Amino acid sequence: MGANVIPLFVVVSLSGAFLISLFGRKLKWFPDLIGSAFTALLLLLSLYAVKIVAEAGTLVYSAGSWKPPVGIVFVLDGLSSFMLVTVNLVAFCVAMFSINYMAKYTSKWKFYTLFLLMLAGMNGVLITGDIFNLFVFLEIASVASYALVAFGTERHELEAAFKYAVMSTVGSLFILLGIVFLYSATSTLSMADIALSLSPGKHSGILMLVSILFLMGFGLKAALVPFHAWLPDAHPSAPAPISAMLSGVLIKSLGIYSLCRIIFCVLGVSSQLLSILMVLGTLSMLIGVFLAIGQWDLKRLLAYHSISQIGYVILGISLGTPLGIIGGLFHLFNHSIFKSLLFLNSGAIEYTTGTRDLKKMGGLSEKMPITSTTALTAAMSISGIPPFNGFWSKLLIIIACVQAAKYWYGFWAVLASILTLASFTKVMKYAFFGNLKSQWAMIKEVPVFMKLSMIILAVICVFGGLLFFPGLREPFLLKASGVLLDAKTYASTVIRLVQ
Amino acid sequence: MSLFQEYFRFDNLSIFVGIFVWFFSILVTVYSMGYMRSEKRTPQYYLYIGLTLIASLGAVFANNLILFMVFWGFLGLLLYLLIGFGKNENTPATAKKAFILIGGTDVLMLLGISLVWKLTGLFEMDLISIPLTSKLAVIAYLCLAAGAFAKAGAMPFHTWVPDAAEDSPAPVTAYLPASLDKLLGIYFLARISLEMFRLDSGMNTFLMFIGSLTIVAAVMMALIQHDFKRLLGYHAVSQVGYMVLGIGTGNPIGIAGGLFHMLNHAIYKSCLFFSAGSVEKQAKTTNLDSLGGLAKYMPVTFVTFLIAAFAISGIPPFNGFVSKWMVYQGILETAKTGGKLWVVWLISAMFGSALTLASFMKLLQAVFLGQPAQGRKLAAKKENREVGILMWLPGVILAFLCLIFGIFALAVPLKHFIFPVILEPIRFFGFWSAGLATILLIISIVIGLLIYFLGRVAKLRQTDPFIGGEDLKNNPQMRISGTEFYNTVQEIGILKIIYRLAAKKIFDIYEVSSKITFGFNRALSYLHNGVLSTYLAWCLLGMGILFYLLLR
Repeated sequence: MGANVIPLFVVVSLSGAFLISLFGRKLKWFPDLIGSAFTALLLLLSLYAVKIVAEAGTLVYSAGSWKPPVGIVFVLDGLSSFMLVTVNLVAFCVAMFSINYMAKYTSKWKFYTLFLLMLAGMNGVLITGDIFNLFVFLEIASVASYALVAFGTERHELEAAFKYAVMSTVGSLFILLGIVFLYSATSTLSMADIALSLSPGKHSGILMLVSILFLMGFGLKAALVPFHAWLPDAHPSAPAPISAMLSGVLIKSLGIYSLCRIIFCVLGVSSQLLSILMVLGTLSMLIGVFLAIGQWDLKRLLAYHSISQIGYVILGISLGTPLGIIGGLFHLFNHSIFKSLLFLNSGAIEYTTGTRDLKKMGGLSEKMPITSTTALTAAMSISGIPPFNGFWSKLLIIIACVQAAKYWYGFWAVLASILTLASFTKVMKYAFFGNLKSQWAMIKEVPVFMKLSMIILAVICVFGGLLFFPGLREPFLLKASGVLLDAKTYASTVIRLVQ
Repeated sequence: MSLFQEYFRFDNLSIFVGIFVWFFSILVTVYSMGYMRSEKRTPQYYLYIGLTLIASLGAVFANNLILFMVFWGFLGLLLYLLIGFGKNENTPATAKKAFILIGGTDVLMLLGISLVWKLTGLFEMDLISIPLTSKLAVIAYLCLAAGAFAKAGAMPFHTWVPDAAEDSPAPVTAYLPASLDKLLGIYFLARISLEMFRLDSGMNTFLMFIGSLTIVAAVMMALIQHDFKRLLGYHAVSQVGYMVLGIGTGNPIGIAGGLFHMLNHAIYKSCLFFSAGSVEKQAKTTNLDSLGGLAKYMPVTFVTFLIAAFAISGIPPFNGFVSKWMVYQGILETAKTGGKLWVVWLISAMFGSALTLASFMKLLQAVFLGQPAQGRKLAAKKENREVGILMWLPGVILAFLCLIFGIFALAVPLKHFIFPVILEPIRFFGFWSAGLATILLIISIVIGLLIYFLGRVAKLRQTDPFIGGEDLKNNPQMRISGTEFYNTVQEIGILKIIYRLAAKKIFDIYEVSSKITFGFNRALSYLHNGVLSTYLAWCLLGMGILFYLLLR
């Protein structure tokens, strides 16, 4: 198969969306089956992608056999395959969770169609080697996500979706503007080609301008402070599985991945840019957690933590050292796992009790043992308690900060971690511990598929730290960080493979 | 095997601590079989106890700092879960507080470990030896020490201990805050202070300051408590001061004293908490105002409590006396090397010891002696009044150890456990002859008993207690409960202000930092008003700043 596997990531998810919209309205069981089966297939494909990348190195697929710069290429390297696994793993668990969870909504098939469309957009962003194509996929994913945020069609959901759509479109606009400037400077849209045509001496002015535009555009998609304000409204309003997708993987594939890919591999990094990213990352880390700790709406609290954790990822990556990049990427993976698990837990609570208000919950561990155990696991992971996965990535980031002699950044990371712990012990206290409130005396644990997907994610939280151990880290984390460390070879590799 | 040796280390210190980790785990399990019998979720409870044992052993024997941190951090989570078995209204809040303080300092330790790695490039504890010359080394040491302080319950990270003592089940308190957390915290403090860092006199003075402050402040708080377990909790803090003080002296006798006190404290404090748990089990309360006169009903518990109380107050010939004596000698030793503050340390240590005795007098009066509170009845059947063997046996074993480790201090614990740890020779300024003193004490006790029994030969009239001709049974307000013994200290000059501030939780690092945090939270929440145009304005403003920074 080799390189021919690459377009399948888009094809499978798009055809899933197509099939569901075709048959889903008549056959009630059909959307559930296709949703889970196709995401499972995508997960297997992405694991296979990791395997072939580990064996054969970077792979390139030219769409319709048109060679760049005319045609569009799909590139599968260590970073893409790493991100593909992250996205599709979460997508699979979310799809399974939705089988039970979405039963209370009407027109489930619309949900799955939009869901798979969003997934197609995300997967497309991850594999494309063409900058305008990246923008198109990014818009597919974004538009699908606007609709999904508004899926409940209540007043506040529509309002949140509107805000989200406006802000996100502004971000897209600046990305498009950046692409326009790049195109005008280099007359090409292939990312490899752009990277080769840009010369620092001739294009330094335009490079700076474009970097800022991308920083703002992708920063907005990634919810970096000060471009973050849409997230706490948008993410909680979506149905819980979608919140898990948005916070777990969407902001990372559209935001962080695209930003890193373009800034590292196409434009080339400057220390100035990295230090700005470090400041933004640290600000996000602290402002996010300070905002989170006072929230009483569980999903809103989680959404603010997404901002904070994204800050860790950006801080790690923008250190630019091998350890920092590994730590940042590892935290990205871990965060998708535990944050989607936390959103699924909040969904499970909402499913049984109908509330997201922490003050109204209490003592739920008695009635919902699986939810509370998995929530504890995820909460400990995000707070960086050993031996859960979040501990390892935070450890790497803190060590990397100290290694790079950025002691204050290390300290801020520590401070944010303490506050994260504080806010999650608050969640545990109000939601699960203590005495059961009388109005919840009759509630039952959630149905089987919801349990199953939460358990899968919790198991990954417990054993995720193993991914950093020798033997497992080479094909996965080291391959991914190698792409960013060795970003200068991206263009030449792609061009060489196309010929 | 080589991989195992690379990550684990078995030296005298870790083996000594490891043995006692085992020992306390066994005792706590036995006690829990009695105490937790009718509770829910017992399989989970024993699972957590078992995991705590494994994690503690892992932390004690780990040689690699990262590996150590994994076990150490996991212990914080287990403590959190175990406190959760308490049934008080405040239990979830207490568990949260304990976990935030411990987990928070654990993250600081990560920073400390990173700094150590930056300075030496090593994670192996036995290879690291850093002089405290650079600013980074000092910060690294303080970060690591913060973790040890929080675990052991030294100031300023102590505030979770009294809360946890009050709100968690007695065996949990006896297990973690009273014994294992002390063993581990002081173990790690010893590791960093004696091996990984080469302390200078400034840092030693700092440690001794922390130690003295902890001793005096915590015992002052203990004096005014109204809850049996909470009072013991403050003593669990106060005693840590002696250990820190001992290690802070930096001379062999002081360090040996600190380590010995760590062991002794674990023994008698577990015993005290076991007694408190037994009292709670039988009397269904730990409020001192409603206890009293239990010595008659629970003789075994009373005797074990009495022995442990003497031990903690440093009364010869019990073990607490020996270790305190060694710590005092360590302080005197520092005077020789030019320290001028030794008087302060010595006075606060002795003062703390006296106040400890005073507050245990209060406890004895309020719980075991004195009159039973109005309207309280113990279990009707006489055989139900004392707790079962599973619950009194661990206490008896520990009380016995208090005695053995006191009388045969040189022959048993010091020779086998403590001195092998301290490689340098240890010199006493004239160690008291325990054998002779004990014989004299025993003789005096025997004579006392003889007089007592001879006195009983004469016929006595027994009557209900009365004051001023009024029968106490009918006038409960005239009962002397013991809880008010030291209430007047709160009225003395400057102490009045300090106690009032303490009541407002000004000295609680947890409360203070949570106030600051929520201040930030309110300010930031105010900015997030949900208006779309504001948010857009920020985006553009942010981009404007970026333009300014990069294109100027």
